[in-house]
Amino acid sequence: MSIMRKIIYNMGYFFAESKKIIQSNLMSNVLTVISIGLIFFIFSMVITGLKISNRMMEIIQKDAEIQIHYDDKMSDDKVEELLERIKGLDGVLDTWIVDEEEAYRRMEDVLGKEADILKLFDENPFSPFIEAKIDLAYMDSVFNKLEHLEGVQYIRDNREILERIKNISGILGILGSLIAAAVAVSTFITVSHIIRQGIYNNREQINTLRLLGAPEPFIGFPFMLEGLILTLAGGLLTAILTVFSINGFYSLVATPLPFIPLPPREHLIEFMILVITCLSAILGIGGSLFGISSARKS
Amino acid sequence: MIEAIGVGLTYPDGTTALKGIDLQIASGEVVYITGPSGSGKTSLLKLLMGMEYPTEGSLKVLGQAIAEGQESGIRKLRQVIGPVFQEFKLIRGRTAMENVMLGLRFLDFTPGKAKQRAYEALVKVGLEHKAFSPVENLSWGQCQRVAIARAIARKPVLILADEPTGNLDRENAINILNLLTEAKEKETTVLITTHATHFIEGKKNSMLIRMYRGNICCERLG
Repeated sequence: MSIMRKIIYNMGYFFAESKKIIQSNLMSNVLTVISIGLIFFIFSMVITGLKISNRMMEIIQKDAEIQIHYDDKMSDDKVEELLERIKGLDGVLDTWIVDEEEAYRRMEDVLGKEADILKLFDENPFSPFIEAKIDLAYMDSVFNKLEHLEGVQYIRDNREILERIKNISGILGILGSLIAAAVAVSTFITVSHIIRQGIYNNREQINTLRLLGAPEPFIGFPFMLEGLILTLAGGLLTAILTVFSINGFYSLVATPLPFIPLPPREHLIEFMILVITCLSAILGIGGSLFGISSARKS
Repeated sequence: MIEAIGVGLTYPDGTTALKGIDLQIASGEVVYITGPSGSGKTSLLKLLMGMEYPTEGSLKVLGQAIAEGQESGIRKLRQVIGPVFQEFKLIRGRTAMENVMLGLRFLDFTPGKAKQRAYEALVKVGLEHKAFSPVENLSWGQCQRVAIARAIARKPVLILADEPTGNLDRENAINILNLLTEAKEKETTVLITTHATHFIEGKKNSMLIRMYRGNICCERLG
């Protein structure tokens, strides 16, 4: 009979044994679930932050458009000439003029419900400008050349924001790696310790099974399941906390500040649940096997 | 079945339990091992179970060498042995049925077949009415019967019973010995240790091994 079939045949027994092992040390196991849940939650928050900052960078990079503001007193011919000269620069992909009305409409979109504030102005406060889509690789050289063009007053770009988000993303990336390592090590230690404790408490039963000729994987399987159940329960706790946190964050940020490019909430929640489940399963199985192996050696 | 040549066993503390034992036991034999406490009966069974390794000579059980480095083979050998331990080694918190099934779960049985075999074994030892009682609710004698049921349910090639008559009165002791020898399959070899020789008076077609200070003396009964 294949090992797989034996495992399937005995699945009910393995689950019943795992339940008994967990119940025999209930308080320790409950505390383990809570601590694993909280450790995973820290990790989950960092990953959520990383995911949001990456999305913001992606959007901002995709939207590599700069605004070139020129002297209001310039004639239309001069503006047209300036537009053509800008279009001719290396790295400039496209150019167009944004008139006052379009500038006003864009601000209305950005402000959303708060757009009424614009009605306080008697006249349209916005000036026309030239917008240019540029290749990010040429950004510095395009800037140098634009600054020396006649009629250009100032240039608005998103480089500073992009750099800041890059920095935040970099920090979150490093922090994420460190926290991932800490989560892995601490979960491994916690799970392997609780498994060793379970093995110690059930040493007589294990000894009997060995004397009856039970294979080691058969003896160890309920303990591996115990570790998996504990980390999955911890993961479930994390998933609940994460969903609450993401919903809370979106209601605080997304509605009042709609111009911040956040990833879709449902996608982010689905992604985080997947990450937490995989992490729980991998660390649960890994930690249990480590605990079983170290208990066998000692 | 069992072949021992010059087998000796000395424990790490220097105690010599067995000395130069030469022994041949054929398939289907019923063997009684007697001797006073400390004569080496349990040590001999421990060797046959692969719980200890000979420090001298060579020992083979069902063709499997009992020696260091043979752990995998010894594990497989244990799967065809039906052990009845002196202290039973039943799992507390589990029913009699669960304890009997424990010895079958990792063998080649479907859950239904394992359950059927376990129940049949409990019927053989007269404990079917206690099948679903937790073992801690059973008496000493009933626990002993559960341990025997666990051993015979596997239909083993070799039954090793360590002092199954210990702490029992004469009538129950004889019943247990009869149970072990009658419940077995025809080809099953049975080795039973007992310190009380009067329990095996009148036994026929069997072998008696008398042990004294780690030495053995074999004779045929009946």
